[in-house]
Amino acid sequence: MARTVRVTVDHNVCVGNAMCETIAPNVFALNENRQSEAVNPEGDTVEKILDAAENCPVSAIIVEDADTGERLFP
Amino acid sequence: MRTAINEDMFTPDVIADPYAYYGHLRDEAPVYWNELYQLWVVTSYEHVVWLTRHHELFSSAVFKNDPRPAYPDINESDLGLYEYVRQYQADQFIQHDRPDHLEMRKVVHGYFTPKSMEAWRPFVQSAIKDLLDEAQDKGRMDVMRDFATPLPVLVIAQMMGVPREDRAHVRHLAEKLLNIGRGEPDRMKPLTEGMQGMIDYVSPLVDERLVNPGDDFISVLAQGEKAGVFTRHQVLVNTSLLLLAGHETTINLLCNGTLAFIRHPEQWALLKQDPAGRTVRATEECLRYDAPVKSIQRIASQDVEMHGRLLRKNDRIRWFISSANRDPKTFAEPSTFNISRYPNPHVAFGSGIHHCLGATIARLEGQEAFKAMAERFPNLHLETEELEYQPSITFRSLKSLPVTWN
Repeated sequence: MARTVRVTVDHNVCVGNAMCETIAPNVFALNENRQSEAVNPEGDTVEKILDAAENCPVSAIIVEDADTGERLFP
Repeated sequence: MRTAINEDMFTPDVIADPYAYYGHLRDEAPVYWNELYQLWVVTSYEHVVWLTRHHELFSSAVFKNDPRPAYPDINESDLGLYEYVRQYQADQFIQHDRPDHLEMRKVVHGYFTPKSMEAWRPFVQSAIKDLLDEAQDKGRMDVMRDFATPLPVLVIAQMMGVPREDRAHVRHLAEKLLNIGRGEPDRMKPLTEGMQGMIDYVSPLVDERLVNPGDDFISVLAQGEKAGVFTRHQVLVNTSLLLLAGHETTINLLCNGTLAFIRHPEQWALLKQDPAGRTVRATEECLRYDAPVKSIQRIASQDVEMHGRLLRKNDRIRWFISSANRDPKTFAEPSTFNISRYPNPHVAFGSGIHHCLGATIARLEGQEAFKAMAERFPNLHLETEELEYQPSITFRSLKSLPVTWN
Protein backbone atom coordinates (compact mmCIF):
# COMPACT_ATOMS: atom_id res chain seq x y z
CA MET A 1 0.00 0.00 0.00
CA ALA A 2 1.28 3.44 -0.92
CA ARG A 3 2.40 5.69 1.86
CA THR A 4 0.04 8.51 2.80
CA VAL A 5 1.31 11.72 4.31
CA ARG A 6 0.10 14.53 6.52
CA VAL A 7 1.04 17.95 5.13
CA THR A 8 0.92 21.22 7.06
CA VAL A 9 1.97 24.75 6.14
CA ASP A 10 3.26 27.03 8.89
CA HIS A 11 1.47 30.35 8.33
CA ASN A 12 3.88 32.17 10.66
CA VAL A 13 6.48 31.49 8.00
CA CYS A 14 4.77 31.08 4.60
CA VAL A 15 5.44 34.04 2.29
CA GLY A 16 3.19 32.93 -0.57
CA ASN A 17 6.07 32.21 -2.92
CA ALA A 18 3.73 29.63 -4.48
CA MET A 19 6.41 27.31 -5.79
CA CYS A 20 4.63 24.47 -3.94
CA GLU A 21 1.49 25.19 -5.93
CA THR A 22 3.51 24.96 -9.14
CA ILE A 23 5.18 21.67 -8.22
CA ALA A 24 2.21 19.90 -6.61
CA PRO A 25 -0.85 21.79 -7.88
CA ASN A 26 -3.35 19.20 -6.70
CA VAL A 27 -2.12 19.37 -3.11
CA PHE A 28 -1.37 23.05 -2.51
CA ALA A 29 -3.57 26.06 -3.13
CA LEU A 30 -3.27 29.66 -2.00
CA ASN A 31 -5.89 30.91 0.46
CA GLU A 32 -7.41 34.39 0.53
CA ASN A 33 -4.27 35.75 2.25
CA ARG A 34 -2.27 34.23 -0.59
CA GLN A 35 -0.60 31.80 1.75
CA SER A 36 -0.37 28.13 0.89
CA GLU A 37 -2.77 25.50 2.23
CA ALA A 38 -2.45 21.76 1.81
CA VAL A 39 -5.99 21.28 0.54
CA ASN A 40 -5.63 17.67 -0.57
CA PRO A 41 -2.61 15.69 0.68
CA GLU A 42 -3.51 12.82 -1.63
CA GLY A 43 -3.76 14.95 -4.79
CA ASP A 44 -0.20 14.30 -5.98
CA THR A 45 2.49 11.72 -5.33
CA VAL A 46 4.52 11.79 -2.13
CA GLU A 47 7.60 12.47 -4.27
CA LYS A 48 5.98 15.62 -5.65
CA ILE A 49 4.93 16.74 -2.18
CA LEU A 50 8.46 16.28 -0.83
CA ASP A 51 9.83 18.12 -3.86
CA ALA A 52 7.44 21.00 -3.12
CA ALA A 53 8.49 21.04 0.55
CA GLU A 54 12.16 21.07 -0.35
CA ASN A 55 11.64 23.92 -2.79
CA CYS A 56 9.82 26.09 -0.27
CA PRO A 57 12.22 29.04 0.16
CA VAL A 58 11.31 29.44 3.85
CA SER A 59 10.82 25.77 4.80
CA ALA A 60 7.19 26.36 5.76
CA ILE A 61 5.96 22.93 4.64
CA ILE A 62 6.00 20.04 7.09
CA VAL A 63 5.46 16.51 5.78
CA GLU A 64 4.84 13.54 8.06
CA ASP A 65 3.92 9.92 7.51
CA ALA A 66 0.18 9.76 8.16
CA ASP A 67 0.39 6.34 9.81
CA THR A 68 3.57 6.48 11.86
CA GLY A 69 3.85 10.25 12.40
CA GLU A 70 7.46 10.06 11.23
CA ARG A 71 8.78 13.46 10.10
CA LEU A 72 9.70 13.24 6.40
CA PHE A 73 10.47 16.96 5.86
CA PRO A 74 12.20 19.11 6.92
CA MET B 1 -5.42 64.72 0.38
CA ARG B 2 -3.29 67.70 1.40
CA THR B 3 -0.75 67.20 4.13
CA ALA B 4 2.36 68.99 5.27
CA ILE B 5 4.52 66.07 4.21
CA ASN B 6 7.81 66.96 2.53
CA GLU B 7 7.66 65.36 -0.91
CA ASP B 8 11.37 64.96 -1.49
CA MET B 9 12.47 61.48 -0.44
CA PHE B 10 16.13 62.14 -1.26
CA THR B 11 16.84 64.86 1.33
CA PRO B 12 19.66 64.17 3.83
CA ASP B 13 17.27 63.83 6.77
CA VAL B 14 15.15 61.17 5.01
CA ILE B 15 18.30 59.29 3.97
CA ALA B 16 19.69 59.46 7.53
CA ASP B 17 16.44 58.37 9.19
CA PRO B 18 13.95 56.72 6.84
CA TYR B 19 12.01 55.40 9.84
CA ALA B 20 10.75 58.82 10.95
CA TYR B 21 9.72 59.89 7.43
CA TYR B 22 8.13 56.68 6.13
CA GLY B 23 6.78 55.82 9.58
CA HIS B 24 4.96 59.16 9.64
CA LEU B 25 3.52 58.42 6.20
CA ARG B 26 2.48 54.92 7.30
CA ASP B 27 0.61 56.32 10.29
CA GLU B 28 -0.99 59.24 8.41
CA ALA B 29 -1.46 58.01 4.83
CA PRO B 30 -0.27 54.43 4.19
CA VAL B 31 -1.11 54.69 0.48
CA TYR B 32 0.17 58.14 -0.44
CA TRP B 33 0.42 59.97 -3.74
CA ASN B 34 3.79 61.74 -3.94
CA GLU B 35 3.12 64.74 -6.14
CA LEU B 36 6.76 65.62 -6.70
CA TYR B 37 7.78 62.25 -8.16
CA GLN B 38 4.29 61.31 -9.37
CA LEU B 39 4.17 57.94 -7.69
CA TRP B 40 2.36 56.02 -4.97
CA VAL B 41 4.26 55.46 -1.74
CA VAL B 42 2.97 52.39 0.12
CA THR B 43 4.23 52.14 3.69
CA SER B 44 2.01 49.94 5.89
CA TYR B 45 2.70 46.25 6.49
CA GLU B 46 -0.82 45.23 5.55
CA HIS B 47 -0.71 46.98 2.18
CA VAL B 48 2.86 45.96 1.37
CA VAL B 49 1.99 42.29 1.92
CA TRP B 50 -1.27 42.58 -0.01
CA LEU B 51 0.45 44.30 -2.90
CA THR B 52 3.36 41.87 -3.15
CA ARG B 53 1.02 38.88 -3.04
CA HIS B 54 -1.23 40.26 -5.79
CA HIS B 55 1.31 40.14 -8.56
CA GLU B 56 -1.47 40.07 -11.18
CA LEU B 57 -2.47 43.60 -10.11
CA PHE B 58 1.01 45.06 -9.66
CA SER B 59 3.50 44.45 -12.43
CA SER B 60 7.19 43.93 -11.76
CA ALA B 61 8.00 44.69 -15.40
CA VAL B 62 8.58 48.28 -14.38
CA PHE B 63 11.19 49.20 -16.96
CA LYS B 64 9.39 47.50 -19.83
CA ASN B 65 5.96 48.94 -19.07
CA ASP B 66 6.89 52.45 -17.98
CA PRO B 67 7.59 54.83 -20.87
CA ARG B 68 7.95 57.86 -18.56
CA PRO B 69 11.33 59.46 -17.93
CA ALA B 70 13.57 58.55 -15.00
CA TYR B 71 12.91 60.03 -11.57
CA PRO B 72 14.44 62.04 -10.03
CA ASP B 73 15.26 63.97 -13.23
CA ILE B 74 18.45 63.18 -15.10
CA ASN B 75 20.58 65.36 -17.37
CA GLU B 76 18.87 65.86 -20.71
CA SER B 77 22.03 64.78 -22.51
CA ASP B 78 21.74 61.37 -20.77
CA LEU B 79 18.31 60.39 -22.15
CA GLY B 80 19.96 57.94 -24.55
CA LEU B 81 21.78 56.32 -21.66
CA TYR B 82 18.46 55.90 -19.84
CA GLU B 83 17.13 53.97 -22.84
CA TYR B 84 20.11 51.64 -22.43
CA VAL B 85 19.31 51.27 -18.72
CA ARG B 86 15.68 50.44 -19.52
CA GLN B 87 16.62 47.72 -21.98
CA TYR B 88 19.19 46.27 -19.61
CA GLN B 89 16.90 46.27 -16.58
CA ALA B 90 13.94 44.90 -18.57
CA ASP B 91 15.86 41.66 -19.19
CA GLN B 92 16.32 40.89 -15.49
CA PHE B 93 14.13 37.96 -14.48
CA ILE B 94 12.86 39.94 -11.49
CA GLN B 95 11.49 42.49 -13.98
CA HIS B 96 9.04 39.98 -15.43
CA ASP B 97 5.48 38.93 -14.66
CA ARG B 98 3.85 35.56 -14.95
CA PRO B 99 3.88 33.44 -17.01
CA ASP B 100 7.43 34.36 -18.12
CA HIS B 101 8.61 35.00 -14.57
CA LEU B 102 7.63 31.52 -13.46
CA GLU B 103 9.54 29.85 -16.29
CA MET B 104 12.62 31.96 -15.50
CA ARG B 105 12.34 31.45 -11.75
CA LYS B 106 12.10 27.69 -12.26
CA VAL B 107 15.52 27.75 -13.93
CA VAL B 108 17.20 29.38 -10.92
CA HIS B 109 14.97 28.46 -7.95
CA GLY B 110 16.25 24.94 -7.31
CA TYR B 111 19.82 26.12 -6.82
CA PHE B 112 18.84 28.22 -3.78
CA THR B 113 16.70 25.86 -1.70
CA PRO B 114 17.34 25.94 2.08
CA LYS B 115 18.68 22.38 1.88
CA SER B 116 21.20 23.06 -0.87
CA MET B 117 22.29 26.37 0.67
CA GLU B 118 23.05 24.59 3.96
CA ALA B 119 25.97 22.91 2.17
CA TRP B 120 27.57 26.36 1.93
CA ARG B 121 27.72 26.88 5.71
CA PRO B 122 31.25 25.46 6.17
CA PHE B 123 32.56 27.66 3.34
CA VAL B 124 30.93 30.72 4.92
CA GLN B 125 32.31 29.85 8.36
CA SER B 126 35.79 29.43 7.02
CA ALA B 127 35.65 32.69 5.04
CA ILE B 128 34.48 34.51 8.18
CA LYS B 129 37.28 32.99 10.22
CA ASP B 130 39.91 34.13 7.72
CA LEU B 131 38.56 37.68 7.54
CA LEU B 132 38.24 38.04 11.32
CA ASP B 133 41.69 36.49 11.88
CA GLU B 134 43.09 39.22 9.69
CA ALA B 135 41.21 41.94 11.55
CA GLN B 136 41.87 40.60 15.05
CA ASP B 137 45.52 41.61 15.28
CA LYS B 138 44.81 45.15 14.17
CA GLY B 139 42.36 45.73 17.00
CA ARG B 140 40.04 47.67 14.73
CA MET B 141 38.30 47.42 11.39
CA ASP B 142 35.92 49.14 9.07
CA VAL B 143 33.17 46.53 9.15
CA MET B 144 32.05 47.68 5.72
CA ARG B 145 35.41 47.51 3.96
CA ASP B 146 37.11 44.71 5.87
CA PHE B 147 34.31 42.26 6.61
CA ALA B 148 30.80 42.98 5.30
CA THR B 149 31.96 43.55 1.72
CA PRO B 150 34.57 40.82 1.19
CA LEU B 151 32.47 38.06 2.79
CA PRO B 152 29.45 38.10 0.47
CA VAL B 153 31.61 38.94 -2.56
CA LEU B 154 33.65 35.83 -1.76
CA VAL B 155 30.53 33.69 -1.41
CA ILE B 156 28.73 34.83 -4.56
CA ALA B 157 31.94 34.74 -6.59
CA GLN B 158 32.51 31.17 -5.44
CA MET B 159 28.93 30.22 -6.33
CA MET B 160 29.31 31.71 -9.77
CA GLY B 161 32.76 30.36 -10.36
CA VAL B 162 34.32 33.81 -10.74
CA PRO B 163 38.13 33.69 -10.57
CA ARG B 164 39.56 34.97 -7.29
CA GLU B 165 41.68 37.64 -8.95
CA ASP B 166 38.58 39.19 -10.57
CA ARG B 167 36.69 39.88 -7.36
CA ALA B 168 37.92 43.45 -6.93
CA HIS B 169 36.86 44.22 -10.50
CA VAL B 170 33.39 42.75 -9.88
CA ARG B 171 33.00 44.84 -6.74
CA HIS B 172 34.11 47.95 -8.61
CA LEU B 173 31.45 47.37 -11.27
CA ALA B 174 28.85 46.62 -8.60
CA GLU B 175 29.47 49.98 -6.98
CA LYS B 176 28.66 51.68 -10.26
CA LEU B 177 25.44 49.67 -10.55
CA LEU B 178 24.29 51.06 -7.20
CA ASN B 179 23.57 54.35 -8.94
CA ILE B 180 20.24 52.79 -9.96
CA GLY B 181 18.69 53.84 -6.63
CA ARG B 182 20.19 57.28 -6.38
CA GLY B 183 19.02 60.80 -7.19
CA GLU B 184 21.94 62.68 -8.73
CA PRO B 185 21.11 64.00 -12.24
CA ASP B 186 24.43 62.70 -13.63
CA ARG B 187 23.98 59.12 -12.32
CA MET B 188 23.31 57.54 -15.75
CA LYS B 189 26.92 57.62 -16.86
CA PRO B 190 28.45 55.55 -14.03
CA LEU B 191 25.36 53.31 -14.02
CA THR B 192 25.65 52.43 -17.71
CA GLU B 193 29.40 52.01 -17.38
CA GLY B 194 28.71 49.45 -14.66
CA MET B 195 26.10 47.66 -16.78
CA GLN B 196 28.25 47.51 -19.90
CA GLY B 197 31.28 46.56 -17.79
CA MET B 198 29.34 43.64 -16.30
CA ILE B 199 28.14 42.47 -19.71
CA ASP B 200 31.71 42.62 -21.03
CA TYR B 201 33.03 40.82 -17.97
CA VAL B 202 30.52 37.96 -17.82
CA SER B 203 30.28 37.32 -21.60
CA PRO B 204 33.36 35.06 -21.88
CA LEU B 205 32.39 33.28 -18.62
CA VAL B 206 28.96 32.47 -20.07
CA ASP B 207 30.48 31.38 -23.40
CA GLU B 208 32.71 28.99 -21.54
CA ARG B 209 29.95 27.49 -19.36
CA LEU B 210 27.75 26.88 -22.38
CA VAL B 211 30.46 24.61 -23.72
CA ASN B 212 31.70 23.20 -20.41
CA PRO B 213 28.89 23.33 -17.86
CA GLY B 214 29.91 22.94 -14.23
CA ASP B 215 27.99 22.94 -10.95
CA ASP B 216 28.30 26.73 -10.59
CA PHE B 217 25.45 29.17 -10.89
CA ILE B 218 26.49 30.71 -14.23
CA SER B 219 26.14 27.20 -15.68
CA VAL B 220 22.58 27.10 -14.32
CA LEU B 221 21.75 30.35 -16.11
CA ALA B 222 23.50 29.23 -19.28
CA GLN B 223 21.38 26.06 -19.16
CA GLY B 224 18.34 28.35 -19.22
CA GLU B 225 19.49 29.62 -22.61
CA LYS B 226 19.88 26.10 -23.95
CA ALA B 227 16.35 25.32 -22.73
CA GLY B 228 15.00 28.34 -24.62
CA VAL B 229 13.88 30.21 -21.48
CA PHE B 230 16.52 32.94 -21.60
CA THR B 231 18.03 34.85 -24.52
CA ARG B 232 21.78 35.40 -24.43
CA HIS B 233 21.30 39.01 -23.33
CA GLN B 234 19.05 37.79 -20.52
CA VAL B 235 21.70 35.32 -19.36
CA LEU B 236 24.29 38.11 -19.29
CA VAL B 237 22.00 40.56 -17.51
CA ASN B 238 20.88 37.98 -14.94
CA THR B 239 24.43 36.86 -14.26
CA SER B 240 25.25 40.50 -13.56
CA LEU B 241 22.10 40.92 -11.48
CA LEU B 242 22.94 37.97 -9.26
CA LEU B 243 26.53 39.05 -8.86
CA LEU B 244 25.22 42.38 -7.57
CA ALA B 245 22.15 41.21 -5.63
CA GLY B 246 24.18 38.37 -4.15
CA HIS B 247 26.37 40.70 -2.21
CA GLU B 248 25.11 44.28 -1.98
CA THR B 249 22.16 43.44 0.23
CA THR B 250 24.15 41.13 2.46
CA ILE B 251 26.72 43.88 3.01
CA ASN B 252 23.90 46.01 4.40
CA LEU B 253 22.60 43.19 6.59
CA LEU B 254 26.02 42.71 8.16
CA CYS B 255 26.71 46.44 8.66
CA ASN B 256 23.24 47.48 9.80
CA GLY B 257 23.00 44.47 12.10
CA THR B 258 26.41 45.14 13.65
CA LEU B 259 25.43 48.76 14.24
CA ALA B 260 22.14 47.70 15.83
CA PHE B 261 24.04 45.46 18.26
CA ILE B 262 26.49 48.24 19.14
CA ARG B 263 23.63 50.64 19.78
CA HIS B 264 21.83 48.07 21.96
CA PRO B 265 24.43 46.65 24.36
CA GLU B 266 21.83 44.65 26.32
CA GLN B 267 20.90 42.75 23.13
CA TRP B 268 24.60 42.24 22.33
CA ALA B 269 25.02 40.82 25.82
CA LEU B 270 22.11 38.48 25.19
CA LEU B 271 23.65 37.20 21.96
CA LYS B 272 27.05 36.75 23.63
CA GLN B 273 25.50 34.49 26.30
CA ASP B 274 24.51 31.97 23.62
CA PRO B 275 25.72 32.95 20.14
CA ALA B 276 24.94 29.62 18.47
CA GLY B 277 21.52 29.36 20.08
CA ARG B 278 20.39 32.94 19.49
CA THR B 279 21.90 33.94 16.16
CA VAL B 280 19.01 32.69 14.01
CA ARG B 281 16.34 34.88 15.63
CA ALA B 282 18.86 37.69 16.06
CA THR B 283 19.51 37.72 12.32
CA GLU B 284 15.77 37.90 11.63
CA GLU B 285 15.53 40.88 13.97
CA CYS B 286 18.44 42.62 12.22
CA LEU B 287 16.60 42.08 8.93
CA ARG B 288 13.44 43.59 10.40
CA TYR B 289 14.91 46.42 12.42
CA ASP B 290 17.20 48.01 9.81
CA ALA B 291 16.49 46.17 6.56
CA PRO B 292 19.12 46.12 3.78
CA VAL B 293 16.58 47.16 1.13
CA LYS B 294 14.30 50.10 1.85
CA SER B 295 11.94 50.07 -1.10
CA ILE B 296 11.03 48.34 -4.36
CA GLN B 297 9.02 49.43 -7.37
CA ARG B 298 5.90 48.17 -9.10
CA ILE B 299 3.57 49.52 -11.74
CA ALA B 300 -0.22 49.10 -11.59
CA SER B 301 -1.43 46.54 -14.14
CA GLN B 302 -4.99 47.82 -13.92
CA ASP B 303 -7.05 50.28 -11.90
CA VAL B 304 -7.02 49.08 -8.31
CA GLU B 305 -8.27 50.48 -5.02
CA MET B 306 -6.12 50.42 -1.91
CA HIS B 307 -6.98 52.04 1.40
CA GLY B 308 -9.72 54.03 -0.30
CA ARG B 309 -7.37 55.46 -2.94
CA LEU B 310 -7.71 54.68 -6.63
CA LEU B 311 -4.46 53.63 -8.26
CA ARG B 312 -4.77 53.94 -12.03
CA LYS B 313 -3.39 51.49 -14.56
CA ASN B 314 0.30 52.26 -15.25
CA ASP B 315 0.70 54.38 -12.10
CA ARG B 316 4.14 54.13 -10.53
CA ILE B 317 4.37 52.58 -7.07
CA ARG B 318 7.11 52.24 -4.47
CA TRP B 319 6.52 49.96 -1.46
CA PHE B 320 8.60 50.46 1.63
CA ILE B 321 10.06 47.60 3.59
CA SER B 322 11.54 49.96 6.19
CA SER B 323 8.18 51.25 7.39
CA ALA B 324 6.30 47.96 6.96
CA ASN B 325 8.84 46.23 9.20
CA ARG B 326 8.10 48.75 11.93
CA ASP B 327 4.34 48.76 11.64
CA PRO B 328 2.86 48.73 15.17
CA LYS B 329 -0.19 46.85 13.87
CA THR B 330 2.04 43.84 13.18
CA PHE B 331 5.02 44.20 15.52
CA ALA B 332 4.77 44.94 19.25
CA GLU B 333 7.15 47.76 20.20
CA PRO B 334 8.29 48.00 16.59
CA SER B 335 11.12 50.46 17.24
CA THR B 336 12.69 48.19 19.86
CA PHE B 337 15.56 45.98 18.71
CA ASN B 338 14.66 42.66 20.33
CA ILE B 339 16.65 39.63 19.18
CA SER B 340 14.25 37.22 20.88
CA ARG B 341 11.28 38.42 18.84
CA TYR B 342 9.12 35.55 17.54
CA PRO B 343 7.24 35.24 15.33
CA ASN B 344 8.94 37.84 13.19
CA PRO B 345 7.13 38.00 9.84
CA HIS B 346 9.22 40.88 8.49
CA VAL B 347 9.23 41.65 4.78
CA ALA B 348 12.97 42.31 4.37
CA PHE B 349 12.99 39.78 1.50
CA GLY B 350 9.65 40.91 0.12
CA SER B 351 6.78 38.44 -0.19
CA GLY B 352 4.84 36.51 -2.81
CA ILE B 353 6.18 35.08 -6.04
CA HIS B 354 9.09 37.55 -6.16
CA HIS B 355 10.33 36.75 -2.63
CA CYS B 356 14.13 37.12 -2.65
CA LEU B 357 15.80 34.19 -4.39
CA GLY B 358 18.91 34.49 -2.21
CA ALA B 359 17.15 34.87 1.15
CA THR B 360 18.54 31.61 2.54
CA ILE B 361 22.17 32.33 1.76
CA ALA B 362 21.82 35.91 3.07
CA ARG B 363 20.34 34.56 6.31
CA LEU B 364 23.10 31.99 6.60
CA GLU B 365 25.82 34.63 6.15
CA GLY B 366 24.16 36.86 8.73
CA GLN B 367 23.79 34.04 11.25
CA GLU B 368 27.41 32.97 10.96
CA ALA B 369 28.76 36.54 10.93
CA PHE B 370 26.90 37.74 14.05
CA LYS B 371 27.73 34.53 15.89
CA ALA B 372 31.43 34.80 15.07
CA MET B 373 31.62 38.47 16.04
CA ALA B 374 29.86 37.82 19.34
CA GLU B 375 32.32 35.04 20.12
CA ARG B 376 35.43 36.92 19.08
CA PHE B 377 34.81 40.63 19.66
CA PRO B 378 32.70 40.88 22.81
CA ASN B 379 33.78 44.48 23.46
CA LEU B 380 32.72 45.80 20.09
CA HIS B 381 32.18 49.58 19.96
CA LEU B 382 32.09 52.43 17.49
CA GLU B 383 35.17 54.45 16.63
CA THR B 384 33.03 57.40 15.60
CA GLU B 385 29.42 58.45 16.05
CA GLU B 386 29.45 60.19 12.66
CA LEU B 387 27.98 57.60 10.34
CA GLU B 388 26.69 58.36 6.87
CA TYR B 389 24.39 56.50 4.51
CA GLN B 390 24.49 56.31 0.71
CA PRO B 391 21.84 58.66 -0.76
CA SER B 392 19.77 55.80 -2.21
CA ILE B 393 16.01 55.31 -2.05
CA THR B 394 16.49 51.58 -2.63
CA PHE B 395 19.33 50.50 -0.36
CA ARG B 396 19.98 51.22 3.31
CA SER B 397 23.78 51.33 2.94
CA LEU B 398 26.28 52.75 5.40
CA LYS B 399 29.31 54.35 3.78
CA SER B 400 31.60 52.91 6.44
CA LEU B 401 31.40 51.43 9.94
CA PRO B 402 34.68 51.78 11.86
CA VAL B 403 34.78 49.73 15.08
CA THR B 404 37.27 48.66 17.75
CA TRP B 405 37.16 45.92 20.39
CA ASN B 406 39.99 46.65 22.77
